[in-house]
Amino acid sequence: MAKLKYSFLFLLYVLIKCESTNVDTISSDIRLKNVDRTVDISSQLVKIALKVTLENTGRSPVKNFLVAVEKSAKENLAFVGTKDYNNKDLRLVETSVKGYDYVKLYRVELKEPVNGGGTGIFTVDYVYTKALIPYPNAISQQEDQLVKYTGNIYVYSPYYIASQKSTVVLNTKTIEAFTKLKPFTQQDSNIVYGPYTNVGPFSEKELNVHFKNNSPFLTVTHVERLIEVSHWGNIAVEEVIEIEHTGAKLKGPFSRYDYQQDHHSGPASVRSYKTLLPASASDVYYRDANGNISTSNMKVKKDSVELDLRPRYPLFGGWRTHYTLGYNVPSYEYLYHSGNEYLLKMRVVDHIFDDMQVDELVTKIILPEGSINIKTNLPYPASMLPISQHYTYLDTKGRPVISFTKRNLVENHIQDFQLRYTFPRLLMLQEPLLVVGFLYALFLCVIIYVRLDFSIHKPEHQHKD
Amino acid sequence: MPSTSIARPENGQNKGLFNNTAGLSTLITVTVLSLAWLAGFASRLFAVIRFESIIHEFDPWFNYRSTAYMVQHGFYNFLNWFDERAWYPLGRIVGGTVYPGLMITSGTIHWILHTLNIPIHIRDICVFLAPVFSGLTAIATYLLTSELWSRGAGLFAACFIAIVPGYSSRSVAGSYDNEGIAIFALQFTYYLWLKSVKSGSIFWSICTALSYFYMVSAWGGYVFIINLIPLHVFVLLVMGRFSQRLFVSYSVFYIVGLLMSMQIPFVGFQPIRTSEHMAASGVFALLMAIGVLKYLHSLNPKGQWKQLLILGGMVAAAAVFMVVVLLTYMGVIAPWSGRFYSLWDTAYAKIHIPIIASVSEHQPTTWSSFFFDLHVLVCTFPVGLWYCIKNVNDERVFVALYALSAVYFAGVMVRLMLTLTPVVCVLAGIAFSILLDLVLREDDLPMPPVDNDESKNLYDKAGKLKKRTHEPAQPLDSGLGMNVRSGTMIAFMILLMLFSVHCTWATSNAYSSPSIVLASYGNDGSRKILDDFREAYGWLSQNTAEDARIMSWWDYGYQIAGMGNRTTLVDNNTWNNSHIALVGKAMASNESAAYDIMTMLDVDYVLVIFGGAIGYSGDDINKFIWMVRIAEGEHPKDIHEADYFTERGEYRVDSEASKTMLNCLMYKLSYYRYDSGGSPPGYDRTRGALPGNRGFKLTYLEEAYTTEHWLVRIYRVKKPDEFNRPRLSLAKRTVPTSNTLSKKTSKRRKGLLKNRPTIVKGKKVGRLE
Repeated sequence: MAKLKYSFLFLLYVLIKCESTNVDTISSDIRLKNVDRTVDISSQLVKIALKVTLENTGRSPVKNFLVAVEKSAKENLAFVGTKDYNNKDLRLVETSVKGYDYVKLYRVELKEPVNGGGTGIFTVDYVYTKALIPYPNAISQQEDQLVKYTGNIYVYSPYYIASQKSTVVLNTKTIEAFTKLKPFTQQDSNIVYGPYTNVGPFSEKELNVHFKNNSPFLTVTHVERLIEVSHWGNIAVEEVIEIEHTGAKLKGPFSRYDYQQDHHSGPASVRSYKTLLPASASDVYYRDANGNISTSNMKVKKDSVELDLRPRYPLFGGWRTHYTLGYNVPSYEYLYHSGNEYLLKMRVVDHIFDDMQVDELVTKIILPEGSINIKTNLPYPASMLPISQHYTYLDTKGRPVISFTKRNLVENHIQDFQLRYTFPRLLMLQEPLLVVGFLYALFLCVIIYVRLDFSIHKPEHQHKD
Repeated sequence: MPSTSIARPENGQNKGLFNNTAGLSTLITVTVLSLAWLAGFASRLFAVIRFESIIHEFDPWFNYRSTAYMVQHGFYNFLNWFDERAWYPLGRIVGGTVYPGLMITSGTIHWILHTLNIPIHIRDICVFLAPVFSGLTAIATYLLTSELWSRGAGLFAACFIAIVPGYSSRSVAGSYDNEGIAIFALQFTYYLWLKSVKSGSIFWSICTALSYFYMVSAWGGYVFIINLIPLHVFVLLVMGRFSQRLFVSYSVFYIVGLLMSMQIPFVGFQPIRTSEHMAASGVFALLMAIGVLKYLHSLNPKGQWKQLLILGGMVAAAAVFMVVVLLTYMGVIAPWSGRFYSLWDTAYAKIHIPIIASVSEHQPTTWSSFFFDLHVLVCTFPVGLWYCIKNVNDERVFVALYALSAVYFAGVMVRLMLTLTPVVCVLAGIAFSILLDLVLREDDLPMPPVDNDESKNLYDKAGKLKKRTHEPAQPLDSGLGMNVRSGTMIAFMILLMLFSVHCTWATSNAYSSPSIVLASYGNDGSRKILDDFREAYGWLSQNTAEDARIMSWWDYGYQIAGMGNRTTLVDNNTWNNSHIALVGKAMASNESAAYDIMTMLDVDYVLVIFGGAIGYSGDDINKFIWMVRIAEGEHPKDIHEADYFTERGEYRVDSEASKTMLNCLMYKLSYYRYDSGGSPPGYDRTRGALPGNRGFKLTYLEEAYTTEHWLVRIYRVKKPDEFNRPRLSLAKRTVPTSNTLSKKTSKRRKGLLKNRPTIVKGKKVGRLE
């Protein structure tokens, strides 16, 4: 009976789940009373933060609401996240609404429903990559880099917005051109649009800003993060990183003379950047296919190890570099166990430089030989790759390698994954025993060889009398 | 050197303390040899400790690249590898133009380690291969010397060769070159040869041939073996020391060795087609003839066979010689190569093959470098040689010939110091061993016969002649007093100590620089690394098109291919002199003439080394005169060496330099926009001069990248449309477009007027003008 009940419940759950993930409706009860939007385009990323005051005009409590992304920006969206007024993360589920298939929609599931007539305050963060287009797309060594941002003047939402205001944050006063839709004000390096009142759902109007942006435009085109867990107290991390300067391309010659004479020369180029490693990182190495890259510094800080990485050459637009960065961390900070059950908690991707954008990430975790019952729990969806085998010192049947890949990541994706597995602790003895056994066999062979005479016929006169 | 001091008690303690001398001496031998291995390995690691585990210099980069290729693609693909990245547009068949022994050795080690799940990168195997092989060389030298003299001498020789600078110069960690393994193969082949001559057994001869095969696969220096062994045989024949043992060992070795050496694709049919190998076949034929005569002699031992034997031998020798000469004239056998002639006439290369003369290691050796590379051994080895000649037997004839020929070759070329070093170690080991025997005899004076017996046991491999050395020495020795003995002992111990100190110092200071990473020291002792080479090659590998072609002087060809992974025009495998001369001509011509050559060769980038900013003396301007000489050799009409010197015959770069010099491509690429940098602006610290031509512009090239310390400068060759286009004002630019438009419209309009074609024609012609 109980079994039947459970299976029924499960079925119900599945049904609800199916329906809820696939199709939603736009609740007419919800109105956005006020939206404050900050569009931060001072770095290579476009970071949009909304502060939403949501009003429930209906009677029944609202358990979730929808967040929308424009069709044009869909491809560039790297991250979207919501928080309530307590700064607690809310769960987001990708969804769709009939008739609005071209819009990317997320359903935010509230922890505390908004009651009829009540209001709630939420923040929504979007991070877009490659939304700033260098224009002109090739500049000479001495020129500043100008970029173009194309966005939406209005807040894009499936709901009716009573009042909204947008602040575009730039890091410069040099603005070539921007869309002028009244009311707007320009102060220092900010442009404020609005307040606009009573804007209908899904309204769009193009916003263009063409301005100087010399912040580093570096894209990590590929990063392979290898985490090798040892139960002898060490976790080795190695990242193979490919970086490309994706800003305006360098046109014409590169002159070392100009670059050396004037420190402001090559304003759009990147000489160095900082990578933050965990505070316990040790034995750091930074090298490429040709050996060590001798131009780097390491600073040990209180809560992190700061690496000042200088590529072999300054990076101008269109130039690439490729390197390997590795370090060790003690396992007690990341590996927990009770009996034979282990839990590994580490970052999916780690900091490479501020405002980073990663095109493709492959994370591989090498577990000790003999680990079984591996369960992976990722903080956000990523595509799992098949489990492979890795052979290293004294391995006999290979170590399991769990790997997964994800595209388009930003700093907000620096989150922990959890990996549970079972490892019989007795297996720790396998490798030392292997060495002992081998030496034992070797000495035994030597003893037998020395003590016994294997010659077919005795030489007539021996060396020893 | 701990090992040398251990070698001493071996001789002393055995005399009375232990009865089980065999066991003890084995223990001591093993200990000393392993210590020698360890010391040799450790003293070669300076570069790895100071810098990093990295491949050094030039040639090793090619070896490393091909090893990595072999590991990645498999052996057969390696043998069939056509490298389109080198010698553009000719390419290079690597499998057929390389001694594959080195790659196979490290590839095999890599394979074994990976089968055992030891994931060591192939680069680390390559870096540490030479130090590991130095230990094997020490063991091979020990075996060779104990075959010649005694085990004690062998231990001395092993310790010497483990640390002597003359050998470690070629085998420090990271210098991944053929010589590193070839010296081991050389010593081991000689050891096996002596063994086979001594025993006359086919087994040892086959082993000799196998070892010779390994040597052939590893290094071009195998020619030394295939001439020295026949020489040994020949001298033995002349000395009347023909024996069945010699007959068996040489004929087996020659036939098997010949067949096997021809299996190496690079060697191919050379052993039967070139003059360098003819001595071996000639001696073989002679040996056969004498064998036949001896056999006939044995049939009828009476009569005048002796005279006939001598006469027949001489006739046979003359006949063999004539045949070889005849075949050479007929063209069946290739005559001596230029490299060979330069061994006999040191001025030959300078006149005929400047490319050989341009390499510093092909210069004649100076006296100081003998001392620098061998230290005390160079003074002591004649003693060993004298003892060997005095107590001559079949093997010692060999070592005497080895020593004499090696001394000659080492005097001709600095590089061949390497072949001298092993024999010097062997003979010096013998000399030191004899000396210790003399000095330590004291203990045994009351019972000389026991001593002789024991020494026979101890040096079980020494021949009967060994005893003779002791017997005449003894009366001399007994005259020595206690003080003289201990004084000599102390003096020699100090010598050995100085030797080991010198070896460590020389290896550390002179031979352990990776040369692709430079280090400079500040006043406070802080070290600054100048990593410009890798900076430039890294830039090339990441920021140029995959198939970009880089023109540079041949010295940097292997490095560009290995680190930059780009196509080069010429490289350190200097097989095509005219191609190199073409590059030299481009560098020596003015910009527009060079541009013609560069477009002909599809050059995308030009790379030059410029040391003027940091005072690096090995840069391209200093090598430039060789480029001119090599270019002049092939293009005497266009390039004249004298044009690049001042009227007084000086080589200068300042304002007094010749006009040709100031306007050649190499000069311009080196000093382009350098003129206003530095503290006296544009001062060249290497030449100590202010460049004569400054502030010029480049028409056909543009600076693509210059490294931080200006050491490597890379230029991009412009495409014809980038500089050929005349500069037009804006107004002019619009004219043709409007013109064509109007032309089209007018044409359309005039489509009706078919009856007046002449007017249209006239208009067209006018517009075309």
